[in-house]
Amino acid sequence: MRKTFDAELLELNESLTVMARVAQDAIDVVTESLSSGDESTAKAAIDMTSSMDQMERDIENRCLQLLLRQQPVARDLRAISAAMKMVTDLQRIGDQCANIAEISLLLSKQGNVKVPQDIGVMSCKAGLMLRQAIGAYTGRDVETAHAVVNLDDEVDELFRQIKGELIEEVAENKDEADSSIDFIIIAKYLERVADHAVNIAQWAIFCVTGEL
Amino acid sequence: MESILTAKDLDLFYGQTQALKHVNIEIPERRVTALIGPSGCGKSTFLKTLDRMNDLVPGVTIQGSVRYRGLEIYSSDVDVTWLRKQIGMVFQKPNPFPMSIYDNIAYGPRTHGIRSKAKLDEIVEKSLRGAAIWDEVKDRLRKSAMGLSGGQQQRICIARALAVEPDVLLMDEATSALDPISTAKIEDLIADLKNDYTIVIVTHNMQQATRISDKCAFFLLGELIEYGDTEQMFSVPKDQRTEDYITGRFG
Repeated sequence: MRKTFDAELLELNESLTVMARVAQDAIDVVTESLSSGDESTAKAAIDMTSSMDQMERDIENRCLQLLLRQQPVARDLRAISAAMKMVTDLQRIGDQCANIAEISLLLSKQGNVKVPQDIGVMSCKAGLMLRQAIGAYTGRDVETAHAVVNLDDEVDELFRQIKGELIEEVAENKDEADSSIDFIIIAKYLERVADHAVNIAQWAIFCVTGEL
Repeated sequence: MESILTAKDLDLFYGQTQALKHVNIEIPERRVTALIGPSGCGKSTFLKTLDRMNDLVPGVTIQGSVRYRGLEIYSSDVDVTWLRKQIGMVFQKPNPFPMSIYDNIAYGPRTHGIRSKAKLDEIVEKSLRGAAIWDEVKDRLRKSAMGLSGGQQQRICIARALAVEPDVLLMDEATSALDPISTAKIEDLIADLKNDYTIVIVTHNMQQATRISDKCAFFLLGELIEYGDTEQMFSVPKDQRTEDYITGRFG
């Protein structure tokens, strides 16, 4: 029963998974560009995220159609409303990756600018959180989702630490204040990526339990 | 929340066939309770046990307890006419009597001994207003109720039920034969009526149950599978069978 609806739900899930994969790839490439300082890698990250706005609109449209035509309840309603919210988180992750890549591109043009190691660590952690959050959603895995939520504290702590170090750096070495501020901005974007990963994990929990 | 109707270990048999199996439920006062489930699940049968309409079906056996405001309604000393005055019923198909609109509404009060024209006029107006149809029929009260549209006829039937000042209103798929506009009017009416009455509805329309009920009971094969707040049941049902039914995966 409800074969058409089930097929449409499957298609929705597939398009969401495709978009999640793009977001995942984007954060991985951004991490790579930060560590290598390579111009073409930064450009690749920007290109990757360019399709995400359209993906967001397509998925939202699909969700609205399903709400209108199928009047879902229970797990169907939870899956569709979670998809509508998650798609915004994924799109924002795309924006943040593009913003980081833009800064990375500028830094690579300046040459000889070394990105602090902790920013690389933060980027890896945010990427891991996103990967796990997406896994938790596709596998309807509440335990993994809770683990993602808990990881957020580590990323927040890293951000505070990096910010503190960079403020000291600015005070001591005014000539390089410009790049220090760029690093703080990058760290803030990464901290936001982790927050969106937490949101996705929470939507995964909502899909299973209905808890907001 | 005070419960007005309580069924305890209620079994009902049509001959050898068991139609209700150990139903336990407490229906709250001045709320809308929806009974849902696939055809033949026992929801209409259960509704009819609440005002002893099943008494009229040959071969029915009822065991267990149904209490209305603490009174055991299947007790031999209960006056069934009195009970049905307290607990009115509106059916799926509008069934006005073949008489004037006025006489349709005055029928019940007259049966209960009211003769005063002034008093009957007052009851007729109040009931028609209560059923949100006064403005549409006030100039044609002496015309036949059979000439009205289906939606109007159903509201006449609701007005007729209200005329005897019941405590509880039972509705058995009361909008399933109506168009969307008439359905919307009756749904609005139900929302107004719950300020003064307890309403129990049987519906096949899940969206309707979601829109208008406070509590929802899911029946399957004569069993009450799940009973709870409507919002909870349609967002996170507890039982897999409820989930499968309301999401249209079986039934």
